[in-house]
Amino acid sequence: MAVSTSDIASPAQPGAFTTSSSSSRSILTHSIPEDEEAFSGFDIYDSYRRILCDPQISAPLAAILSLTELVEQSDAGTMFELVKALNDGAEALKKRVHNPIGLNAGSELFIAFVTLFPHESASFSELRTELVRQGQTYATEALQFRPKIADLALDFIKDDSVILTHSYSRVVMQALLHAHQRKRISVYVTEARPRGLGIKTYESLTAAGIPCTVVLDSAVAYVMDQVDFVLVGSEAVVESGGLINAVGSNQMAIIAKAENKPFYALAESYKFHRLFPLSQYDLPTHTPGILSFTQPPLRPAPELVARPSVSPETQPVLKSSISASSAMAGLLPPAPVQRTMTAEQISRNPDVDYTRPDLISLVFSDVGILTPEGVSQYLVGMFAG
Amino acid sequence: MTKAERRELQERQRAAKATGKTAAPPPPVNAKPGASRPSQPPTPASPAPKRGSQARGTAPAGATTGKGAKDAKSVAEDAVVRSRGLRIFSHFALQRTVAHAKGDVHPAIVHLGLMFAEFKVSGANARCIATLSVFKQVIQDYTTPTHNTLTRHLNTHLSVQISHLVSARPMAVTMGSAIRQLKLEISGSDIDLPEQDAKDALCHKIDNYIRDRIIIADQVIQETATKKIHDGDVILTYARSSVVENVLLEAWEEGTRFSVYVVDSRPMLEGKRLLSVLVAASIPCTYLLLPALGSVITEISTVFVGAHSIHSNGAVYSRAGTALVAMMAKQHSVPVVVCCETYKFSEGVQLDSFTKNELAPNGDLFSSFPLTRPRGSLTLQNQTNLEILNPLYDLTPPSSITAVVTEVGVIPPDSISSIPLALGRQV
Repeated sequence: MAVSTSDIASPAQPGAFTTSSSSSRSILTHSIPEDEEAFSGFDIYDSYRRILCDPQISAPLAAILSLTELVEQSDAGTMFELVKALNDGAEALKKRVHNPIGLNAGSELFIAFVTLFPHESASFSELRTELVRQGQTYATEALQFRPKIADLALDFIKDDSVILTHSYSRVVMQALLHAHQRKRISVYVTEARPRGLGIKTYESLTAAGIPCTVVLDSAVAYVMDQVDFVLVGSEAVVESGGLINAVGSNQMAIIAKAENKPFYALAESYKFHRLFPLSQYDLPTHTPGILSFTQPPLRPAPELVARPSVSPETQPVLKSSISASSAMAGLLPPAPVQRTMTAEQISRNPDVDYTRPDLISLVFSDVGILTPEGVSQYLVGMFAG
Repeated sequence: MTKAERRELQERQRAAKATGKTAAPPPPVNAKPGASRPSQPPTPASPAPKRGSQARGTAPAGATTGKGAKDAKSVAEDAVVRSRGLRIFSHFALQRTVAHAKGDVHPAIVHLGLMFAEFKVSGANARCIATLSVFKQVIQDYTTPTHNTLTRHLNTHLSVQISHLVSARPMAVTMGSAIRQLKLEISGSDIDLPEQDAKDALCHKIDNYIRDRIIIADQVIQETATKKIHDGDVILTYARSSVVENVLLEAWEEGTRFSVYVVDSRPMLEGKRLLSVLVAASIPCTYLLLPALGSVITEISTVFVGAHSIHSNGAVYSRAGTALVAMMAKQHSVPVVVCCETYKFSEGVQLDSFTKNELAPNGDLFSSFPLTRPRGSLTLQNQTNLEILNPLYDLTPPSSITAVVTEVGVIPPDSISSIPLALGRQV
């Protein structure tokens, strides 16, 4: 933890951090287009990516930290200019990140904080350094949220519990590892196609000595009866009290509801996001390509196939190849057919889905254990005041 | 039973009613010997069940003796029961002709009262704005009587105006919260201010209220709600809400391409007005009446409705029929979005639409009926055994509402109460 915080707390000089980033993370900086950097001298996306490399930092926190760096770098002379620069920076980040939901939650929080920050400092530059300090302090404190949530969740994990979790989530891992120290637990984790992050969870849990089994994403309903409760992390918790998380969480919640199993979500409070999706398709990540139907490849017109005279020489070839393969199938074990989705097919699928609030039992966060209604009241109270 | 008998019975009941008021025993009017018993004044309390059981008991025996009498009796009971059944709605303020102005009522208020009573001005926002604008006039025309101060006296003067408006039509929640704010401003205004200055300051405050809480709020709601309309959506709306109308127009202007189903219902058919506006803006529209809702609900992407007021438990009090639309949409997992300014929030809780409601104007019940008889003969008014019930509002439970779009953001209906009340109370 100490290492990571010192890593985040960006050095005082702007020059220092660019050199350090280019030296330590040369691969990343290499991928950043040069013209972007020339444009403002400070590239927020660059700093966002660099901060995100820390395994402890999640997207909202990285957004907060990169905006803090933006405040440090900006030459804004007034509050108005600063807020505008922040909004522009958040917008720029949003455009370049594939799935901006988590990031939006962080930028929203930071911008709201900056706008509401009491102006007591004598000069504006003083105020700016104060804002930077506050941002960094928050990020340092935010790293303590996960242990706190793990502690809260512990009371809900009974000895000998069987837990179902989805994909990989840092806060869920922390909660499970923390619970393992006190109680006997066993965990089912979904594979979470296509990224297969469930395997990562499996590896970490088995390494810690927790009995763990990977189940197929399609086997969630099958396994649900064996499970005491479901524990998932989240990308963002939205204003309806619902949850945005890696795709598959929604079906898990629906099945859990159908089987009357509690569905718990773990979320740090910086993941609370003022967004109100009315449906699955009302999310900022939704791109038109998702779920679109492919035009099936045009089959040969039936008359061409029916008339053997058109291509007499190709047909025997086809027939022989078919017979040969069927004969082979009887004798030899068939060659492993790779039936996996192509990258193009995967791209038609969503990364995240939205879980309705009525499917969620409780949300564990560092501000307490909340019902979904409680989350929305917390958010309304924080932003609508 | 013959027609003559029925008419006779009605006459008798009418007579009984008339005499009942003067508390004199009713003389048997034109009584046939067999029908003497039902001609007793229909006292609504205890005799009804007794007579009922009696009638049932004698039914097989008296089959031959007095068929006509028995029929008349049951009809009488029927009428009693039915009229009693409807009488439970008597607390819905009935359509009243505006009582002649009592006390010092400003002519503009009298005019406004007539507009309200005839539904020439309707809709929560329109009524609130109209009331506030007229109040500005009232305040300007007001002179403080000698030995009194504006801060103390203007409120009583306004109360007279308000009670006149209420006698025309029950007060809208929006008007209530605006008036509460205005009275607060009046009692808080500086006692040493010259009269004209104080009046100008109050008018300025009224203008600000209209601007901040209604006009700007509507703009913010429109901005937020248009983001919830996407290309290719099918939007359903019920009756007419000024906010929803503006949301749809703005979304169309921004280039989103969608179509609208306007659901409407008798007797007010307010949706027609919305429809004409939307069609004029060349938005593809479909118009249907409430009974047809079930056949189209599966095609809908989002339901947008307005509100008269919203209670602190999240229940939406809106035009009668909204609850039906919302529940049907909920049943089919269609999101229901209510557009509502925060000044429409009411602190009370209402559990059903029966405790407090209004009656809608009757309208023309035969407007689309195939007219085989001359319309003049098709009157339903003034029949003793008939009461037409058109509640104006109903209550949508929070469970059938997905989201409420307000000027402070999109919020779930359960969280209404957590919006800081300071918002409505800023002085």
